[in-house]
Amino acid sequence: MYLTRRPWFLLVTSIGFLGLFWSALRVGTLAPAEFSFANGADIKSIDPAIVTGHPEGRIINAVFEGLYRNLPAHTLPGYQPDGDPNRMVPQPAMAERYDRSADGLTYTFHIRPSARWSDGSRVTAHDFVWSWKRFLHPDTANQYVYQLTSYVSGAKAFNTSQVGPGDRVEVELPDRLRPYDPFPTGTMLYGVVRRRIEAPRPAMEGLRRAEQDEKLAEWHRRCKFEVDIVPVVRNDDEPHSTPQIDWAAAGERRVFAKQDALADDMGGPLEGHHPTEECLHILPHFDSSVGIRAIDANTFEVRLDHPTAYFLELCGFYVLYPVHRPSVERFGYPAWTRPEHLVTNGPYSIAFRRIRDRIRLQKSPTYWNAKEVALNTIDALALSSQTTMLNMYLNGQLDWIDDPPQTAIPDLRQRSDWHGGVRLGTYFFRLNVNKPPLDNVQVRRALNQALNKQQICESVTRAGEVAARSLVPPGLSDYQAPLCDDYDVAAAQQLLADAGYAGGRGFPRLEILYNTSESHRTIAEVVQQQWNQNLGIHVDLRNREWKVYLDDTQSQKYEISRAAWIGDYPDPNTFLDMFVTQGPNNMTGWGNLRYDEALAGSQQELDPQRRLELLAEAERILMAELPILPIYFYASKNLVRADFSGFSENLLDVHPLHLLRRRR
Amino acid sequence: MLRTLTWFVVQRVLWSCATLWLVFTATFFLMRLVPGGPFQLDRNVSPEIRRNLIARFRMDLPLPQQYWEHLFRTARGDLGPSFTIADYSVNEILGQGFVVSSALGVFALLGALGLGVPAGVLSAAYRGRSVDRWVMLLATLGIAVPNFVLASLCILVFVFVVPVFPAGGWGTWRQLVLPSACLAAPFAAYIARLTRTGMLEVLGQDYIRLARAKGLRSSAILVRHALRGAMLPVVSYLGPTTAGILTGSLVLEKVFALPGMGSHFVDAALQRDFTLAMGAVLVYTLLLSVMMLIVDISYVLLDPRVKIGE
Repeated sequence: MYLTRRPWFLLVTSIGFLGLFWSALRVGTLAPAEFSFANGADIKSIDPAIVTGHPEGRIINAVFEGLYRNLPAHTLPGYQPDGDPNRMVPQPAMAERYDRSADGLTYTFHIRPSARWSDGSRVTAHDFVWSWKRFLHPDTANQYVYQLTSYVSGAKAFNTSQVGPGDRVEVELPDRLRPYDPFPTGTMLYGVVRRRIEAPRPAMEGLRRAEQDEKLAEWHRRCKFEVDIVPVVRNDDEPHSTPQIDWAAAGERRVFAKQDALADDMGGPLEGHHPTEECLHILPHFDSSVGIRAIDANTFEVRLDHPTAYFLELCGFYVLYPVHRPSVERFGYPAWTRPEHLVTNGPYSIAFRRIRDRIRLQKSPTYWNAKEVALNTIDALALSSQTTMLNMYLNGQLDWIDDPPQTAIPDLRQRSDWHGGVRLGTYFFRLNVNKPPLDNVQVRRALNQALNKQQICESVTRAGEVAARSLVPPGLSDYQAPLCDDYDVAAAQQLLADAGYAGGRGFPRLEILYNTSESHRTIAEVVQQQWNQNLGIHVDLRNREWKVYLDDTQSQKYEISRAAWIGDYPDPNTFLDMFVTQGPNNMTGWGNLRYDEALAGSQQELDPQRRLELLAEAERILMAELPILPIYFYASKNLVRADFSGFSENLLDVHPLHLLRRRR
Repeated sequence: MLRTLTWFVVQRVLWSCATLWLVFTATFFLMRLVPGGPFQLDRNVSPEIRRNLIARFRMDLPLPQQYWEHLFRTARGDLGPSFTIADYSVNEILGQGFVVSSALGVFALLGALGLGVPAGVLSAAYRGRSVDRWVMLLATLGIAVPNFVLASLCILVFVFVVPVFPAGGWGTWRQLVLPSACLAAPFAAYIARLTRTGMLEVLGQDYIRLARAKGLRSSAILVRHALRGAMLPVVSYLGPTTAGILTGSLVLEKVFALPGMGSHFVDAALQRDFTLAMGAVLVYTLLLSVMMLIVDISYVLLDPRVKIGE
């Protein structure tokens, strides 16, 4: 017995070990790409409608392309040197040109006839309509959705399912093949809302706006809708054409409700005896309510609520890039993003993708401008350790890194392959103005004037950051940011004394909240020490890991909280928009009617000069009231091997991969 | 005998299932107790957008329903979609990571055994002599030096001073050498100490004296008779260690930029990636139970005195 079972055991164990050994050796060899770079943590997705974030942006910018593309000015055909040649300007991409109506509200884009998907099919205006609709659909749930909902008419109502009596709606039945797809795959019905059978309205008194919105959304989901469903004529010859809806026909009356309302079963059966049917969504009819449409295959039209000076820049922002409808519908999310299924329209396609390792990009022969794309293969490595990426750069394994370790920066800045420069990003402290004594503007100004920001830049961050006296960073052409008070200890002491805390006496102990990080801690310590020396006040430091820090800040459970904002597009609005009264990213409790008005005015303003003046007016108010303390403007920290050209420093710190080429 | 063995394995599998379920339940609720959820994003979003997000991951359901759905899905072997690496399911993420971690782990384990056992035997054979002292000094160092220090030293020496190995990354066998050496070092040291202790204990026993009295060569005594008995503590140490090694090492994966499984444990928890964190914990639990089972069975083979089911 003993002898018979031992060989078995040995056999099984050694086979297991050999198997593991074999798979270990199978790692094999991987030919290096022509260009490799560190792309931060692994990307969340390559679906443009799902992602947010810099690393994702780099990949999506390489494999997809929008109507316009933000590129350095010097790459414009027929570029005349004027100002900064590296300034990012929107340049024709999938669209070869656009027209803007006189009122600035309607943009008509003309799609480039040579624009192709990587399967050889044409990129059409219908692709954009479908992709933008997908981006706006509630199930897609992109946190950048405000990039359209804030500007495009009807987009917000569609995204938030706002429907009322008389509205044309599209109803999706709960018969999806893939229930969790971020886009409808179930049966669609079209009709006109006759009546909204309302659930009891929630009590709203004394709630913050965010909470009110929450309650309203909740209430809305519990309403039932009586809808006259009209017939649809589908054109089977063209599978992707918009369905022909006969709105004039006498509808069939049906009642729909979402699952929540069905569960309540409020009100019982309705008069007329229509049984309530479950629907997944009841949304405003996209084609007739949202200002996005295809006039024909080559012409794409967008109607805006208010003139938006930076709308082209937005069109060059990766979340608005189109996706290939046939493959998305065929494979569904996330299968369509697999390299073997992925159909793209950008300069590169994806050869393979290994989780937390790398994405290999391969030049796409179908790209309209493929002759200008120099490098054939590019590796984007998922690397988050700063020391490791520096090691790999120094060792020749990487050609570009953008986040070397803090301690090495003074030495690295001396190198010829260092590419620095100010970025469109601001490091600041939020002050919770609901917490005394921070409700007192004199106290806030005193805290600001007692800060030696120069010292922080020179002794802590050291990568060429610039001490900040405004929220909007410098470098945006034509915009002069109004400044807050400069460092002045005597004035700060006076202000504090005026507020009733002469010499810091009687000043309550405040707390600085920051997320766990060596550099945030050092900065908070320097601030702590400066305030103690200059004002005689004591602050404590509260260090929380990232998600807890976010929770505390967003629910305003803090007194002083470190913060940062990186601009999405080169316009002051991307910063100033944050501090409108009760805006989702305000989080300070501060609000000012004149600020809101100036900002709203700027959004309506057609004259570019006047618009910037209104924005400056808003920032002047912000810098006088100081619900935030600007600390410094970010600097970019790129190391790029000298063998490559086409890498230009710019404010957005965006470096299109398809412009890179090897020097001869 | 075979029947008792089968019965033993069945029992253990049942116990493992119960353990997995307990671990699942504890993880499920602990994750939700921590402040700041997966939808606490770096940029705050309006309530409607947040609601859409929450609904997409079915986190708007009542907690018991979420629990049962998650449990049943997991029981079917589907760990669900990841919140942070959204294009892949947790199964795929852990699968790809496991290949890397186990490749590294196999080399490290073989290295640790190949180095540790002979060192221990040598040390025991020359007990009290200078060989013994040197080996034990090295072993103490191996245990005491944390692996990020060792890794940094290795990189300094073998990447920058004598450039023979790449600084990090994954793709060629040369990229495996430094990390598996660093991973193996502390285990080799432990194994050397355990082997030495085991050997010393065994060498004092009667059957070894008998073997000596019979005039067997001392090398034969050491390898054939003593080593088998001395391996028992090493084997019981190897069980949980293998589970640990195969699921990756956070520190080494960061330092050498390896796409293994180890980083998922910490990153998923920090990112509140509920499904990925759950998957990582369950895989580790499963591996641990399997390794313990193998250890228990191999006891029987190594030591005739141990009988299953007694």
